[in-house]
Amino acid sequence: MEHDVHFHWNMLIVIYLFTAGVSAGAFVISGLATYLGGTRYKRISRIGALIAPWPLMLGLFVLIFDLTKPFQFWWLFLTIQWTSPMSIGTWLLTAFSILSMLYFILWIPRPWRDLLRVPHSTADIFQPRQWRLMTREMVGISRRVIAAIGFPIGLGVGMYTGILLGAIPARPLWNTPMVAQLFLFSAMSSGVATVLLIAAFTPPKDGHDHLLHERHFLVTVDTVLIVLEIFVIIPFFLHQSLNTWSSAESMSLIMGGPFTLVFWVGVVLVGLLIPLAIEGFELFPVIWKEAAVKYSRLWGGLSAVMVLIGGFLLRYVLVYAGQMSHFLPMLER
Amino acid sequence: MANPSTDTPRKKRWGFVMESDRCIDCQACMVACSVENNVPIGKHRNWINHKESGIFPNLNQTFMPENCHHCNNAPCERVCPTGATYHRDDGLVLVDYDKCIGCKYCMMACPYDARYVDEEKAAVDKCTFCVHRLDVGQPPACVETCIGRARHFGDLNDPNSKVSMLLATHDHYQLYEEAGTESAIYYIRSK
Repeated sequence: MEHDVHFHWNMLIVIYLFTAGVSAGAFVISGLATYLGGTRYKRISRIGALIAPWPLMLGLFVLIFDLTKPFQFWWLFLTIQWTSPMSIGTWLLTAFSILSMLYFILWIPRPWRDLLRVPHSTADIFQPRQWRLMTREMVGISRRVIAAIGFPIGLGVGMYTGILLGAIPARPLWNTPMVAQLFLFSAMSSGVATVLLIAAFTPPKDGHDHLLHERHFLVTVDTVLIVLEIFVIIPFFLHQSLNTWSSAESMSLIMGGPFTLVFWVGVVLVGLLIPLAIEGFELFPVIWKEAAVKYSRLWGGLSAVMVLIGGFLLRYVLVYAGQMSHFLPMLER
Repeated sequence: MANPSTDTPRKKRWGFVMESDRCIDCQACMVACSVENNVPIGKHRNWINHKESGIFPNLNQTFMPENCHHCNNAPCERVCPTGATYHRDDGLVLVDYDKCIGCKYCMMACPYDARYVDEEKAAVDKCTFCVHRLDVGQPPACVETCIGRARHFGDLNDPNSKVSMLLATHDHYQLYEEAGTESAIYYIRSK
């Protein structure tokens, strides 16, 4: 009141927005690897599929305790409010959770895969003991179908976390389509970084070459995403600064205001520019002399961790700074 | 388009007209509201903005009483994921405390920062235009208690109401009109 600063949305919201992004990104990169690589990037598909459901589950669990009535969260599921991004997001996240869970089950490695059985004929449906293992073809088709359905929904989840903030005219820092794009690319990048990190520390059985192929793919995708993020942040700045007085003023929160350091050092330098430099260095031999991608577990792991830190801080800055941004008080009229 | 004056009974549109020149910032409206509505300590449903203007030594301070604007196009209602915030036929924007799960999205969406969390109700709350008093024909508590008669309350759709007459004869403005909220609070321009 009287425009004092209250942070009604706190760290729990930041964690939720971040983890939802990691899940969406992991699912989408897994789906992409399934389509583009087939067996070549199988490990990427598997790692992505195995991690996709869990960060989001953690985020949703945490989110529930931000409510004043945590145990009534299920009331969200009794209705669809078409004008509320949160209501639409609830259903989007529900669809994504179910799909990512199915996808997870389809990618479980042996020996647990043997638990995965399906009825062989309609007569068997009520007799689970007669159910048989899924054939290799069935598993492959199911994975591709779920990946295809989940791909746009995963992108939707990544974008939704930004739309949640952007759909509010009262907060000038949020009220721009750029936030949704920034969150989408950052979500995808965080998901890729998570897969990169896990892939780097779980070496494949069939050798070094395989690892280099995977790495080439993941680093290329991540580089593209980081460049896209940079090219969203630039127009974000220009547009906001050249917009109405309220929007231009909201920029002062990260241009000299309390979030300047964490944004420019945390998000831009640590989260984008340094990982871009490391990944560029890794890709350099590929570009320059068609050689294999340079690989160092230390630098690769470091850049992935930095991307994750940057993704988290991006959400932190926007959630907190956004709540400080406001229509400016009226001048004498 | 139906002609509201002949076809259907005219809908009410409750609203405020604030006369800044009559407000002395005594904050009696805030006290009356807190007592009437049992507002938690530290939270307020209404408040008084201070607006400074002029160049020394000719300075001026204007007091602008404010509360929930009961917007016709309410951002809080639009974003509510459970439909807990709703519009009544007479233009009141109210919260169904049972349906509210406390996600606080409405508090993000309100450009006037009119909402707060009532921990006891475990819900988000705000000014109701004293709906319980309106329904028995009484004005809101803040209006009744205002010693300077700075707060005027009435039916904006009734051309003969005090508020409509004030608006017809005085230069007035609204807060954050650019947000497209269609607020029900008007301010009479200071002389």
